[in-house]
Amino acid sequence: MTLLTRLEQWKVQGILSPEQHALLAGLSRGEPFSLYLELNLLLYGGILAFVAGLGWTVSTWSQQLGDVLVLTILSAMLAACFWYCFSRAPGWSPAEVSSPSLAFDYLLYLGSLVWSVELAYLENRFHLLSAQRDLYLLATAGLFFFLAYRFDNRFVLSLALSSLAGWFGLTVSHWPSHQDATYRQYAIVYSLFVGAAGAILQRRGLKPHLFGTYLNIAANVLFWALLSGVFSRQDYVLWFLALLAACAASLAWGLWRRQFSFVAYAAVYGYVGVSSILIRDINGETALLSYFVVTGVAMLVMLVQIARRFGKEA
Amino acid sequence: MRVYSAASEEAVRARDLLKDWAGEGFLTQAQYQSMEQETVCDLRRTNIFLRIVLFLFTLIILGAAAALFFVVFLSPPSAQTTSVFLLIFAAMTYGAAEFAVSRFRLYRYGIEEALDACSVGFLCVGIQAALSSGTDFLVPAAGVIASLWIWHRFGLPYAFLAAMIFVIWLSGYWTSSHSAQHVAVAALYAAGLITVAAVRSPHRFTYLNKGYSIVEALLWLGIYLAINLNLSSVDLLRQWWVGPLTTTEFPRTFYWATWVLIWCFPPAILARGVRRKDRFVIAVGAIAAILTLVTNKPYLGWQRHTWDPMLLGALLIGVALLLRRWLAAGPGGIRHGFTAPRLSDKDKHWMNVGSAALGLVSTRAITPSPQTVTPDVHFGGGDSGGGGATSDF
Repeated sequence: MTLLTRLEQWKVQGILSPEQHALLAGLSRGEPFSLYLELNLLLYGGILAFVAGLGWTVSTWSQQLGDVLVLTILSAMLAACFWYCFSRAPGWSPAEVSSPSLAFDYLLYLGSLVWSVELAYLENRFHLLSAQRDLYLLATAGLFFFLAYRFDNRFVLSLALSSLAGWFGLTVSHWPSHQDATYRQYAIVYSLFVGAAGAILQRRGLKPHLFGTYLNIAANVLFWALLSGVFSRQDYVLWFLALLAACAASLAWGLWRRQFSFVAYAAVYGYVGVSSILIRDINGETALLSYFVVTGVAMLVMLVQIARRFGKEA
Repeated sequence: MRVYSAASEEAVRARDLLKDWAGEGFLTQAQYQSMEQETVCDLRRTNIFLRIVLFLFTLIILGAAAALFFVVFLSPPSAQTTSVFLLIFAAMTYGAAEFAVSRFRLYRYGIEEALDACSVGFLCVGIQAALSSGTDFLVPAAGVIASLWIWHRFGLPYAFLAAMIFVIWLSGYWTSSHSAQHVAVAALYAAGLITVAAVRSPHRFTYLNKGYSIVEALLWLGIYLAINLNLSSVDLLRQWWVGPLTTTEFPRTFYWATWVLIWCFPPAILARGVRRKDRFVIAVGAIAAILTLVTNKPYLGWQRHTWDPMLLGALLIGVALLLRRWLAAGPGGIRHGFTAPRLSDKDKHWMNVGSAALGLVSTRAITPSPQTVTPDVHFGGGDSGGGGATSDF
């Protein structure tokens, strides 16, 4: 029985009103056909290509164009983008707010990227904060967080989180020795900070729909950091225990909130970490291959049970 | 011939659409629950994340089990013995996929998909091990046939993509001429396209339409990539970063004929997609149009300029905004059956996921290496986030 036949039946049975039937039958036939996704992708690709060309042109021709012209153009673009966003934005709300227009989110994104290009240009030409360059990243992250929350924009929130990660990373780059261990610790601090900040903001009801972005980034950074600790030959026991704890938490969260990406993180990162410990002392192909068969089957059985109990369709 | 019944797959499609419409507010919760009960089907599905993980672990098990068999029982095996057992494994994994579907009613569950993928892999490696030189073409030929069968039987679109890749491999055995290889691949894809276009017409409003749509889009893309010599050349990286392709690698007439064709194909694909209201074909038409603009200069042997991406970006933004404005000006925001507002909850979901992910990766993408660098000016980076704010001049 085709969907159109089913819809007709539901109309006859009184489950659907004639208006609903007309709408849904049309939608199932692609009438009207929404180009929402295509238009958004065109805008995203366009912004990305434009800023790539802008950065490339500025970097290549900055001497010929001159600082004044470059900064004037970049500042004008920045001002135009932010003027548009601030003048057209609806009033702020802690809840999810729809964009006033299709171009709105992308102009904000363009403005944020142009800000980054201009800031990089200023610092590298005039060395305003030469010894404290990390402050640029922190300030940029702060600005992007403000814009993301003011205009409810996931693109800019991702930029803010990656700028903040860059700030943590650059701080690490100043450490003269033990970079791996230090980097790992900073990555953990970053992921805990981001996760905690997202949770607090969600609890306070400030754009709670953005919490998923925080949590996914925090989880991946945390797992990478813990795995790198597990892979190290010394003092890996603590990292291993921390990885197990993180996997258990991720699994519990994923099942509780029906967010199966976290179940997948727990399964994959956990399997890689546990395997890296267990196969260290395995010698011989037979034992190694047997390990993968046995543990693979065990994982498969566990995941099928989870899928049967919790993960239908979604 | 399909392993799933039409009623089951139609019910799956109905359930997906009902969920989508309920999410978008076109149905009340009571209506949704009532209608969902009437679309119950026996197929067992799971969500995308568990599907991917199940696929990966099934691959690990099958790969390790096959290797273990050879290590334990046949070490060191002769080529012929290896071949025979790999062919047996191929048959066993395929049989297991059929069993998993018929007994456990798995549908896009990861496990049966990995079993299918391994059956093709074992088959190709098994044939490769058995063959002497001169009959190597049987490997991709078997790959094409097996992949097409799995696409037909299980409806997995990526099996069709695998078959298309095997066709490229196959063309290398027919002729050493690069031009002839391009033509052969494009001709085979075109034959497939004609067949699919003829077969899909009666299924426009059934569950089969989406699968045929993906396959048609893949074939259009395959033909385009086969004729665009600046994309399908094996030496792609060199020509993009070192210099454009020279016309001497191909006969002059052939080279310029393909240049004409790369300008003809995008509007043709777009027209086909728009006429049929086919999302995947429209997407391929747009991708082909962008690729034509991007590869036009290398085709003509012209030098790229640093502002070329800006012009492309401005064009894309302009097209999107004009299209949006044009659609919105129609009665009810609809023109020729097209509209700009979102009508599907899935679109919102994908935009949310995509915007978070793309926002993270874009910081690297926006700052390519300069084409020509003056001695005291260097602008790299953006490698620590912040959209290039950490770059060095």
